[in-house]
Amino acid sequence: MQRYSGFGLVKHALSHHEHWQKVWRSPEPKKEYDVIIVGGGGHGLATAYYLAKEHGITNIAVIEKGWLGGGNTARNTTIVRSNYLWDESAALYEHSMKLWEGLSQDLNYNVMFSQRGVLNLGHTLQDMRDIQRRVNANRLQGIDGEVLDTQQVQDLVPAMDCSASTRYPVLGASWQPRGGVARHDAVAWGFARGADSLGVDLIQQTEVTGFRKQDGAIVGVETSRGFIGAKRVGVVTAGNSGVMAEKAGFRLPLESHPLQALVSEPLKPILDTVVMSNHVHGYVSQSDKGDLVIGAGIDGYVGYGQRGSYPTIEHTVQAIIELFPIFSRVRMNRQWGGIVDTCPDACPIISKTPVKGLFFNCGWGTGGFKATPGSGNIFAWTLAKGRAHPLAEPFAYDRFNSGKLIDEHGAAGVAH
Amino acid sequence: MMHIFCPYCGELREEEEFHAKGQAHIERPIEPEACSDAEWGDYLFFRNNPRGIHHELWIHAVGCRKYFNITRHTVTYEILETYRMGEQPGITAETLAAEQLAQSAAASAASSTTQQTGDARP
Amino acid sequence: MSDATTLDPQAVTDADAATRSQTSVIDQRPALDVHLQTARSPLAHLFTARADANAGVVLEEKAFLGHLMLRGDPAQSGFAEAVEVALGLALPLTSSTLNLNDAGVSIQWLAPDEWLIIVPGEEAFAFEQALHEQLSGRYQVVNVSGGQTVVSLSGAQARQVLMKSTPTDVHPRAFPVGRGVPAVFAKATLILRHVSAKEGESEFELVIRRSFADYLGRWLLDASEEFGVCIKA
Ligand SMILES: Cc1cc2nc3c(=O)[nH]c(=O)nc-3n(C[C@H](O)[C@H](O)[C@H](O)COP(=O)(O)OP(=O)(O)OC[C@H]3O[C@@H](n4cnc5c(N)ncnc54)[C@H](O)[C@@H]3O)c2cc1C
Ligand SMILES: [Zn+2]
Repeated sequence: MQRYSGFGLVKHALSHHEHWQKVWRSPEPKKEYDVIIVGGGGHGLATAYYLAKEHGITNIAVIEKGWLGGGNTARNTTIVRSNYLWDESAALYEHSMKLWEGLSQDLNYNVMFSQRGVLNLGHTLQDMRDIQRRVNANRLQGIDGEVLDTQQVQDLVPAMDCSASTRYPVLGASWQPRGGVARHDAVAWGFARGADSLGVDLIQQTEVTGFRKQDGAIVGVETSRGFIGAKRVGVVTAGNSGVMAEKAGFRLPLESHPLQALVSEPLKPILDTVVMSNHVHGYVSQSDKGDLVIGAGIDGYVGYGQRGSYPTIEHTVQAIIELFPIFSRVRMNRQWGGIVDTCPDACPIISKTPVKGLFFNCGWGTGGFKATPGSGNIFAWTLAKGRAHPLAEPFAYDRFNSGKLIDEHGAAGVAH
Repeated sequence: MMHIFCPYCGELREEEEFHAKGQAHIERPIEPEACSDAEWGDYLFFRNNPRGIHHELWIHAVGCRKYFNITRHTVTYEILETYRMGEQPGITAETLAAEQLAQSAAASAASSTTQQTGDARP
Repeated sequence: MSDATTLDPQAVTDADAATRSQTSVIDQRPALDVHLQTARSPLAHLFTARADANAGVVLEEKAFLGHLMLRGDPAQSGFAEAVEVALGLALPLTSSTLNLNDAGVSIQWLAPDEWLIIVPGEEAFAFEQALHEQLSGRYQVVNVSGGQTVVSLSGAQARQVLMKSTPTDVHPRAFPVGRGVPAVFAKATLILRHVSAKEGESEFELVIRRSFADYLGRWLLDASEEFGVCIKA
């Protein structure tokens, strides 16, 4: 792999940037792999990267039905934070946060991780009590967090209406300074390039249509390009996970819902942090390009159409204008939807399955982008060792039968 | 925006007046204490999540406030029928598959009689 | 009366007793002098009189009316007849219809087993009693007068105000006189009814919950502003 550097940039400028190495190869699938990862989103690519890098397993294929990072990875609002309530999930997301902090160096690829801080606003006394509880929990977990009052929020975000006369006045917020945003495509591409350079085959435009089993154990996957053998298979297909589980012969407690986002025309810098509000129900940040990146809630019904309903987007825009009246005349450029795999306790499933050698990593719902490096890292461990990584143990899929749920609706409620 | 026909109001109304309540026709186990953990977990948490025909419970929340059922395609969002509480769906994934099979059989029968030569496959 | 008794386990089988009310009803409205001194309608603080001869929108709170919720099974024999005798208005059996008369009495279909009756405030108790006298078997009448109020919306631009506020189709073709529906309105809900159209000018009534009144009142004033507002008080 050609390393990227300032010097390289200058050198390639001399030849008009015509001789850059391809970022990854497009290999023909082999007959068999040690590990097949189904789904070439951020999580799948990170899994392959860490398998190769940390566990020395390089005979790997990532099989993607569309293009790399074209699923929710490409569609999300990129909020990264780790201030979840329960120890199990806080540990999971904090593991990921630590990886984010060194990721650009590790991958030799600028993922534009920007720790501009994340605000979760409180608009009612109950919101504030929940915020206090969560921040206290975070401190005990060793995760940064502060409770801010209205004035402190106003100082951080001068453009927001923090006056007492609004319908839902801002009473305060939780503030995680290490939170922020990253560049979604760069994350997928960085992991893809890293995995490819370690010998991983990235196979695009190939759909996995079924699983082949022998004596209750996986032996490979059926694809639109024929059968490919594998000793172990990890499925990381986000909103399509319920459908994939059916194909493998078991059920998951997932529902797939559309979640949408929208971006405005580019503006001069006006918002240098991330603002989220569970109560008025919207969140917004400003990208490096200058567009306002705005997220919405999920549609209430199961849906696989990658769009999202009009009432939901209208509701979101109203919420953002309630918070930022100054944005009322900003023009919106694009709107889209992704299909998120929502789980009853708003936590992921990182687990072995009833099929030996078949593992699932799903249920990240509306908030899995922030987990991309951590999820890949512990799923790689899980695939390599054939048992759950200690951080993944609480997230086994049989918790829905044992009753040991990790209810993160309070911290993940809206989303992200 | 979906237009939804409420079987109680007898009219098409805007999506915004309705709330989706998840999978329809879920029966609470008559004797919860007699359930295994797996059965009880299934009842509480495991739902159909098909790419295709789905039977759903909805409520006409800003309207007659009655619950009713919808048979809907989760990819096209086409609503195939709505029906009252206590009723069973008239359209299911199975009836649609059977219909399609019958149609293609009829079509291939028709094409094989009209085509004089060659392969009758479409 | 026989099917009424099968529907209601507590109904008295004796035919004579079954026609009498099983419910004790009290007049919820205070004596008139107390009422005049202390009662404040939900919109009194917002809808102060404002004259504007060219106003496109005319707003008026129809305060202190009597609001009764009626529930029952219209298939039950004698039910529709009993309501008609008590109100002097036919029970609407078609969805989303509103029957009303010049005496200020109206009855609106809300659901297959639920109707909203609005009557002049001082007559609420009499109508409530009349309903209990006429109805029998399984039914329910609840006086909700204290919980809601009515806003009349008229003027040449009345429909424009509605179109800004609700996804309900209010074109006269879809929303003729005599139609009434619960509606999503400025993110809240209310009941919207088209009560008359004289010389092409429509009057709508908005039945608003007391707890939403301040918010919806402000919304209506704001939404009407651009057309010029006249407020009758
Ligand atoms: C609008 C929106 C906003 C969001 N905002 C945030 C946020 O601010 N912060 C945050 O942390 N998270 C957010 N999320 C959630 C986040 O995007 C996801 O949890 C995360 O990206 C999931 O990553 P993934 O790699 O598992 O999924 P994906 O990127 O969706 O990858 C799954 C891949 O699997 C492929 N696939 C599916 N089926 C098959 C098959 N049969 N064969 C082969 N390939 C298959 C798909 O094509 C897809 O590329 C948001 C999501 C959406 C939709
Ligand atoms: Zn209805």
